[in-house]
Amino acid sequence: MSIPVPVAKRLARKLLPEEVYERLTSVQFNDAGHGYDPFGMHPVFVALGAGLVRPWYEDYFRVKSYGADNIPSEGPTILAGNHSGTLPVDGAMLWTDVVRQTNPVRVPRPIADHFVANLPYVSPLFARGGVVGGSRGNVRRLLDNGELLMIFPEGVPGITKPFKDRYKLQEWRVGHAELAIRHQAKVVPVGIVGGEEQMPNLHTFAVKWLGMPVLPIPATPFPLPVRYHIHYGEPIDFGERYAPSDCHDPAAVAEAAAEVGTAVQALLDVGLSIRDGVFA
Amino acid sequence: MSGVLVTRATTPIGERLVRSLIADEHIGHVLAVGPHPAHRALPFSHPSRLTYLQSDLSRPRAIRKLLYGPARDLGIETVIHAPLHDAAKDSGRRVRAENVESTRELLRLSEEHPTIQRFVYRSYAAVYRVRGDQPTLLEEDHSLNLSPDTPQWIRDRVEADLTVCARMGMSSIKTVVLRVAECLAPGTGSQLYDFLQFPVCLTPMGFDPMLNLISMQDVVRALELAIRSGEQGVFNIPGKDTLPLSTAILKWGRISVPAPSLGLSTLYRARSRLLGSQFRYDMNHWRFHYSALLDGHRAKSILKYTPEHGIEWPVGRRASSQ
Repeated sequence: MSIPVPVAKRLARKLLPEEVYERLTSVQFNDAGHGYDPFGMHPVFVALGAGLVRPWYEDYFRVKSYGADNIPSEGPTILAGNHSGTLPVDGAMLWTDVVRQTNPVRVPRPIADHFVANLPYVSPLFARGGVVGGSRGNVRRLLDNGELLMIFPEGVPGITKPFKDRYKLQEWRVGHAELAIRHQAKVVPVGIVGGEEQMPNLHTFAVKWLGMPVLPIPATPFPLPVRYHIHYGEPIDFGERYAPSDCHDPAAVAEAAAEVGTAVQALLDVGLSIRDGVFA
Repeated sequence: MSGVLVTRATTPIGERLVRSLIADEHIGHVLAVGPHPAHRALPFSHPSRLTYLQSDLSRPRAIRKLLYGPARDLGIETVIHAPLHDAAKDSGRRVRAENVESTRELLRLSEEHPTIQRFVYRSYAAVYRVRGDQPTLLEEDHSLNLSPDTPQWIRDRVEADLTVCARMGMSSIKTVVLRVAECLAPGTGSQLYDFLQFPVCLTPMGFDPMLNLISMQDVVRALELAIRSGEQGVFNIPGKDTLPLSTAILKWGRISVPAPSLGLSTLYRARSRLLGSQFRYDMNHWRFHYSALLDGHRAKSILKYTPEHGIEWPVGRRASSQ
């Protein structure tokens, strides 16, 4: 079960200014007939999500956005960013930032790890907001439909990285590059500064028996009020260099993925150098 | 086009299909087969183009008599078949014979038949494996549900489906397998229809998967397109209605009550024993947790099938009649 649409509508209207609510609920999407897209997204829940995250985005993490106009207004696109923070707050901030900064609104489709589908209440709520399970079939279909994907190539090792490894990209997986080449999608590198200090991770336990890959032990019981800086880089168009069939070439895919990783690291380095402090 | 043999002709879908085939002037003769005596089989007749035969297709001899008797005499070119036993509570060898052996025998004899050129098998979306780590949109090459603890209703359908797929391209006849989305209508073996017959629907707490449902009109249309097409292969046949389980319950005018998943199987088993319901939670456990929709791209590009008719939801109907 999930929140009924009329309840979500009322809540979203209370949480958002009317014009923002209207802008978000009039978003173009692949309506499968009953107001939901095939993956379960519903514009009213997109608005509700934006409304629920709003105080965190505006007042708690005081997000600053740089270069959001680098996000193409249409066509298959992949946002590839660094992942961190023990809790996926960086995903929520990035999702909200894209929803707020793009005009016309593009709702990013965060690609979640498989275990998210097993989480009661979380999985339907995430699905309504646009989160999609990270299977090949799902992401291919989204890119075929010209959607905007949000991928954290570091995956779970990124979000649970030790504090000493902050702003050092963990193993940079190549799936996003393979998808970009296959579907001739543009990749927008994203450097998220701030999230890596929000909840320093002390230790990580493997807890597959709980239905999750790991259980991190953070130093703080809740995220610290760090300031988020989200930097969007120039879109990388692999279509200029690679044919779709190159997605089967491991060397080409690795090279493309490394290029994205380098761009993300460069954004992080710039972001770290220009910020005044973790909380400022 | 020459004659068509329709098994399960006395089911709601079979009846609609036969009626539609008779209305099509390109179809020569329709040989309808069902378990009921002729006088209470079909509520319509067409002396020159429809023949109804009562036959028990779980018996190989009956299939041989049918194919090498009336089917040959009427010049049947196409066979439309589906598993014969719909009741999910039943199990055993007899049920398997009706679902699997009948398909195997019908296909085997069709391949050797002098007039049959095409075999259309109506399979089910339930043959697919549904898990959280699988895609939401299932293509035709998606894993099938071969789990050893799968109830016989599904196991039989997977086996029959594979039996037909295994012969594809191996004989002179062209074979089509249509994996059809769940048809939310009585008499179709729909688990969801049975689930929605009670005023209160217990659903697993914290989950609300997306469902895809098909109307009887679209099932019949897909079958007709499969008859007319010269292609063979496996095709997903999705319906027009894609919606969350909670919305389906609401649109059917029922109340959804979330309950811990662990107890649901026991509760529904008890309800089934007390009230005779066919709904089995163990058959639906996974799809009540994870979204699994049929990807109909192949059917669209090859059979030219796209869903056109939505389900007639009771709540919507009531609202529109006011």
